Amino acid sequence: MPADTRPRHVALVTGAAQGLGHATALRLAADGFAVAVNDISDDSRITKLADQINGLAVPGDIAEPDAVRVMTRAVAEQFGGVDVLVANAAAMEMGPFLNQDARTWWRQVEVNLSGHFRLIQAVVPHMRARGGGRIVLIASGWGVIGHPNATAYAASKAGLIALAKGLGRELAPQGILANAIAPSYIDTDQLGVDASDAGITLDEMRQRYRELIPTGQLASVEDIAGAVAFLAGPGGSAFVGQVLQPGGGVTRTRA
Amino acid sequence: MRSKSPVIVITGAASGIGAATAALFSDRGWRTAGLDLRPSATDLSLTCDVTDAAAVRSAVDFVTEQFGGIAAAVTAAGYYEEGIDVCDITKAQWDSMLQVILGGTVNTCAAVLPVMIAGGQGSIIAISSELALGGSATDLHYVAAKGAVLGLIKSLAAEFAATPIRLNVVAPGPTDTPLLAPGSLWREPGYLATMPLGRLVKPEEVAATVYYLATEGVMYCGEVLSPNAGAVI
Repeated sequence: MPADTRPRHVALVTGAAQGLGHATALRLAADGFAVAVNDISDDSRITKLADQINGLAVPGDIAEPDAVRVMTRAVAEQFGGVDVLVANAAAMEMGPFLNQDARTWWRQVEVNLSGHFRLIQAVVPHMRARGGGRIVLIASGWGVIGHPNATAYAASKAGLIALAKGLGRELAPQGILANAIAPSYIDTDQLGVDASDAGITLDEMRQRYRELIPTGQLASVEDIAGAVAFLAGPGGSAFVGQVLQPGGGVTRTRA
Repeated sequence: MRSKSPVIVITGAASGIGAATAALFSDRGWRTAGLDLRPSATDLSLTCDVTDAAAVRSAVDFVTEQFGGIAAAVTAAGYYEEGIDVCDITKAQWDSMLQVILGGTVNTCAAVLPVMIAGGQGSIIAISSELALGGSATDLHYVAAKGAVLGLIKSLAAEFAATPIRLNVVAPGPTDTPLLAPGSLWREPGYLATMPLGRLVKPEEVAATVYYLATEGVMYCGEVLSPNAGAVI
């Protein structure tokens, strides 16, 4: 939606150093939000981003209770509260299910599903204090349809979808709307990682993914950031526990 | 400038969700064409029965003639009947509901798709209902018709996936429009209390969802977006 967002509502975006989180911070700032940006790595990327959007950098590990407390307090002190949480941080390691060790499995579940547990607990009181809020969980199309060699990732993202539904039911009566977005193939730096894992070029990787998508188009990070902005903005006010799937139709195979 | 702004065709534009959609798009600088049995508050109000394929085609042809192209189409024409036991739905009631809701959507898609193909772009958004996702009672013909719209749009979306034309569905929850009579079950406080948001959906909220799909929905292909206040999760 255009920038008719209520004045200076406050958004906190995790995993904002790059890719989708970065694009989401830019979009929400353009829509009029005051934006706090978090990433686990405390480097120049989020401070630079915060400077660019007149926001606030709050680096830290969201799995650490102390870090979450400090981070949330910093956002509230700087901007007066938190209205929107975009839970975007994620981890993925691919491999055959039977070869997967417990450490690899649990790491993905911890980051993707449990990672935002304490942060959600920390921001909800701020949302309540302001009479409502929005929680946008970045899930994955693979959490809806599954994917070979990505069982832990898919399971963790499916858990995130169920979390959005449960939070939706639990918090909607207080005006806090929780929803999920399940994107599929997005044109980010991750494709370069996928390409080198597969031993092919980036363009070959892009083409391989395009062939899996009925529309033949990879999503841009801006496409998905647009979905976040919709759910976080005035247009999303009747969405509760829903899952948006801007994936070019990948939930079915091609004829 | 105005003549360069995008064009949207809206069926059922005279009231409820269709009217709210026309108002929003008009506010955002679009040129609106309304097809309805009654006059609509649109830039080009055309009286048209959506069950009449030839009439819909002529109306769409006239829109194209006047405006030069169509960027988006919304199929909101419909009506509602509730409180009828499954055994009491007459053949006439069944046929009429299917003709208006499913047939009207088919006729509109058939009329606008060639225009969109020629223009190299387009977004069709069909208004279904959360009842098609969650099921319902005593309004079976309406639910069946709205469910058929899902199958239609998903199939068309797949058929046109390789083109720049996108087809998707908005399935609202019970919405505060004249379609819900004052005594409707869906207006009862006891029912509203079962919904997480505890209220009816506003037609403006449905229109905002349509606007998002029409303007930023390039990655949605045969999807169902449901602003339903938590009625179906």
